[in-house]
Amino acid sequence: MEEGRPQMTATLDIAATRTGTTPAVRLTGVHKVFGHGRAAVTALDGVDLAVAPGEFVCLLGASGCGKTTLLNLVAGLEQPTAGVISTRSARPAVMFQEAALMPWLTAARNVDLALKLAGQRRPERRRQVAELLDLVRLGEAAGKRPHELSGGMRQRVALARALASTLGTAAADEPGLLLMDEPFAALDAITRDVLQGELLRIWRATGTAVLFVTHDVREAVRLGQRVVLLSSRPGRVAGEWVVDGLHGAPELAVVEEVNARLREVISSHAAA
Amino acid sequence: MPQPDGSVTDPNPASRDLAAVEAGLDALDAPVVRRRRAGWRRVLGAVLPPLVAVAVFLGAWQALWAAAFWPEYKLPAPLAVWEVFWGRLHTGEALGILWTSVHRAVLGFLIALVIATPLGLLVAKMRVVRAAVGPLITGLQSLPSVAWVPAAVLWFGLNDAAIYMVVLLGAVPSITNGLVAGIDQIPPILPRVGVVLGANRWQAARYVLLPAALPGYLAGLKQGWAFSWRSLMAAELIATSPQLGLGLGAFLHNGQALSDMPQVIAAVLMILLVGIGVELLAFRPVERRVLRARGLAGVL
Repeated sequence: MEEGRPQMTATLDIAATRTGTTPAVRLTGVHKVFGHGRAAVTALDGVDLAVAPGEFVCLLGASGCGKTTLLNLVAGLEQPTAGVISTRSARPAVMFQEAALMPWLTAARNVDLALKLAGQRRPERRRQVAELLDLVRLGEAAGKRPHELSGGMRQRVALARALASTLGTAAADEPGLLLMDEPFAALDAITRDVLQGELLRIWRATGTAVLFVTHDVREAVRLGQRVVLLSSRPGRVAGEWVVDGLHGAPELAVVEEVNARLREVISSHAAA
Repeated sequence: MPQPDGSVTDPNPASRDLAAVEAGLDALDAPVVRRRRAGWRRVLGAVLPPLVAVAVFLGAWQALWAAAFWPEYKLPAPLAVWEVFWGRLHTGEALGILWTSVHRAVLGFLIALVIATPLGLLVAKMRVVRAAVGPLITGLQSLPSVAWVPAAVLWFGLNDAAIYMVVLLGAVPSITNGLVAGIDQIPPILPRVGVVLGANRWQAARYVLLPAALPGYLAGLKQGWAFSWRSLMAAELIATSPQLGLGLGAFLHNGQALSDMPQVIAAVLMILLVGIGVELLAFRPVERRVLRARGLAGVL
């Protein structure tokens, strides 16, 4: 993993020498262009963004705003065309829209695989698998295979697996970074509502920083401490709201405000 | 409020409520996996229909023979065929014949496996290799391997090498293509998961690619076995020589030479029995396990 991302390991050393305030992830002037020449498409155009340790940031935008691209860059699945991405933890935890569990492994073995790939030894893994499955309240379902689980249960196994992947790399006291790409978009409304509550509970319990991508304004305002709006084609930061601890009328007001700005951003594409 | 398992210890009431709702959703939404029926009824359901089919077939055969539409040398009685079969079995000759053919087919299949697996990985993962030999391998798959017998006999003479050559040319393309298809059908998200979990190239192949490709690979192996068995029969039937020993193909060939219809039919039935036996005893259980683990065993 590390050898593929030279620019990141360089900044990681600097980050290690500082204390506390180093962001969990910082993007500085990040550009991403797909293709070459005339067919080139600019997905991200100079994005600056920092997520503090333990902070919950929601990345909001319409289709084609490059939110998934941005997440893939932080996850190391793609390389930025220009700009710098620095993360505190060497390997962020990643969750996709699909659970993407290995269909031939049980829930417990799926989590175990992540621990194994993170370099954990067998005796510790047993305990960690049990702890992680208990954290997502699936201790009972450890021996079940993905096809025997509901969509919500699969996403919780995926969350446990994502958290497992950071265990081997981060020091015990170092809060991690969880990247989530519309993880609840494919679930029904009731399950989504429950899993949002679960995610907040686990976020408070683990103290991990979260970068959560969604196209649902309500979801973003409910979950996040901060909501960042990306414009579409090319993606730029088009607005930012601090929404921590809002309830009732103020929360609804912010949802309205973000919605209005989002519509404005989308409408601007009709003219172009 | 009443709490399900374990969550009593949770001090936060909101979190307890959430746990209760979640446990309810899990119970409602988790797909119901159908349990299999009780042992003897399932066995009866699987064994009885084919037995009845065989009995009906034998009855029709017996009736046609009794009606004497055709002379005896064209349609012998079922009992006459059984006597040939039982006679060879009794003297132990049948075992020798079966052993000669089956050990050749198994050995040929294993060699094909060793050649085809790395070849399949290369074709699947390397663009240049696929462009270069992919179409050729698919073409070879549709070429009847009997077509190789004359060439093999001219290259190697009438010996085991010629026979293995034909078996390999029959089986290797099937196994290779099976593995390639298995790898091509892996959902692209799974290798990406491997990357974000920090798997290196070797770990990705070992823990993600190969197990994910297993169903397609197994289908290829099954077809590969069928091709090695047919190719072997074709080769034994055409290339007969005392040096090659008496296999099933040669036994069939002798039956034709002697105009001994009961022997011909007995030979065909034995070839069929080996095919069915290997499918039922070797491939079916493995395939069933692999598919059931993935929730794909609806048809088996």
